[in-house]
Amino acid sequence: MSTRTAPMRLNLGRFVVYATLAFAVCFYGIPLLWLFVAGTRSEASLLSDPPFALGTWEAFTRTWNNLTSYNNFQIVSWATNSLIYSIGGVLLSLAASIPGGYALALSEFPGRKLILLLTLIAMITPSTAVVLPIFLEMNLLGLSNTYAGMILASGFFPFGVYLTYVYFSTSLPKGVMDSARVDGCNRFQLFTRIALPLARPIIALVAFFSFLAIWSNYFLAFVLLSDDKLYNLPVGLTALVSGSGALSNLPSNDVPIKKPEVVLAAILVVLPVLLIFMAAQRFVRSGMLSGAEKG
Amino acid sequence: MAAVELNNVSKSFGPVSVIEGVDLTIEKGEFVVFVGASGSGKSTLLRMIAGLETVSGGDIRIDGKDVTFDEPSDRGIAMVFQSYALYPHMNVYDNIAFNLKLARVGREEIDKRVKEAARILRLEPLLGRSPAQLSGGQRQRVAIGRAIVRNPKVFLFDEPLSNLDASLRVQMRLEIERLHRELGTTMIYVTHDQVEAMTLADRIVALDNGRIQQVGPPLELYARPNNLFVAGFIGSPKMNLMAGKVVEKTVGQAVVELVANAAPRLELALPDATVGDALTLGVRPEMLTIIAGDATVPSGMTALPARVESIERLGNITFAYLDAGTSELLTIQVMGHSDLEPGHAVRVGIRAQDVHVFNAAGAVMTSAIQR
Repeated sequence: MSTRTAPMRLNLGRFVVYATLAFAVCFYGIPLLWLFVAGTRSEASLLSDPPFALGTWEAFTRTWNNLTSYNNFQIVSWATNSLIYSIGGVLLSLAASIPGGYALALSEFPGRKLILLLTLIAMITPSTAVVLPIFLEMNLLGLSNTYAGMILASGFFPFGVYLTYVYFSTSLPKGVMDSARVDGCNRFQLFTRIALPLARPIIALVAFFSFLAIWSNYFLAFVLLSDDKLYNLPVGLTALVSGSGALSNLPSNDVPIKKPEVVLAAILVVLPVLLIFMAAQRFVRSGMLSGAEKG
Repeated sequence: MAAVELNNVSKSFGPVSVIEGVDLTIEKGEFVVFVGASGSGKSTLLRMIAGLETVSGGDIRIDGKDVTFDEPSDRGIAMVFQSYALYPHMNVYDNIAFNLKLARVGREEIDKRVKEAARILRLEPLLGRSPAQLSGGQRQRVAIGRAIVRNPKVFLFDEPLSNLDASLRVQMRLEIERLHRELGTTMIYVTHDQVEAMTLADRIVALDNGRIQQVGPPLELYARPNNLFVAGFIGSPKMNLMAGKVVEKTVGQAVVELVANAAPRLELALPDATVGDALTLGVRPEMLTIIAGDATVPSGMTALPARVESIERLGNITFAYLDAGTSELLTIQVMGHSDLEPGHAVRVGIRAQDVHVFNAAGAVMTSAIQR
């Protein structure tokens, strides 16, 4: 070994970094861990055993059956709804964001700066602030309380337009576009044959973020949907909790939805996001970094 | 019929004018090189011919047809870019075939033409690779292959070799030269590298500030530069330029005093000069002679006392940089070895017939007589 290798020492800076990281892991990780463990336990175990005690397979399957079969498999249809809204909304937001961002980045037309500015404003406006106007609009169009209305409202994703704009204006090599023009691409082919195939990372990134936003959107669905058959998972979960009295301290009723079932429902909401993040992680990271360097 | 004709072509970005009234006719099969410093407008002019930049005034004809407002793909040109500009998501074969596919050429014909281009450029083993797996030289060959398959009327090259390292650049330069010989197609080539310009060009177009400064065969630009810009730009190391002033005038002749050590005087053939004119005199580094300390000055030479500042020995050639009291150091090219050392006091010999004279506006008044 070379004697010039610096010994691993725990200096103050390193200590602070690790301590902060450890704190963050505990602070955010422990509740999540608890959630997954609690899903396997019975109600009695939740009340008496230590917080991280593991439950049993029987307890888990019983809870699972109680939850899924309750009210004629209501939660399954909510999950399906969530999936429909998310997929529809993601497709819609992609269909709008990718060409929109491309046009803003690569063409000069009157009003381009204004549209960019409006996109930015729309992006930083809290989405909850526009829920009421969207509700009124959907009412006017007769689309409130429909799949189409919910998908249409979910597809509004200015952040995606902005992300795409940044990606195309920084990462698309100008020479490649010029070369494609010389080769005979018209404007449409420039987009479909050159820009789009090169935009895979940004498509993944926009899809990921918009999925995340739509899947966990509570307020929009709460306002737009009044028919409980159309609920998505977050709204359904709330309805389930308040309807069953599972988390209140009232005398027990005969509804089979107790604390374990509520925990399991919460896992159903969280799990797809976690899985998709793990699968898309590499894409998401490369998408976020790709603007930083020349292609 | 000329291959490319530019008639009073101009280009401006808002109030900023980048190309001003360019007139140029390029013959079929000619290899024309645009040279100039960065910002001279050479690339812009090429991109205007390609159709990648709009034209603000004048018109462009290719093969007799007015293409001023045509799309790049309708002009019968092919272009090779400095950045190679390969399509990263296609393999070499598809990169080369892309423009043929867009033009809806039949599959067999495409295959035939791609294979032919690959053969000419020795790319056959690489057809299945993606651009990321290629070296710089291979990428540039693919870019050239992409241009060849179109059978263009004109090839446009925009500094195609500047991203390559020195040895590869020499090799690719020879390859482009071979290509021009084999295909016989008109080529327009933009570079700031004057070695490329001198070696490749049938004619050089020297550009500065968006204007053509001089057009001609390389050696003519070297021997008889029209103005100070061309004099300073063509030739490496560059021509020595010295300030001077007309002090005496006879018929057809003028005596010019140099702004230099000992204010030497030269008698030059200058019919148009008047006493008091400020001039610039230019002498190529290989035309200056070093006269050792005690030797007598050969007849016909004017001696200029100087001190050696630095010496560059390249083996076959030695460059000496001397301080002679002129505004810039004088560069002298000595063939073979020289035992000069920094600090030596020497004299520089100038012959009147080797001097180019430029007036205050920079235009040539007299060129050196060719030996």
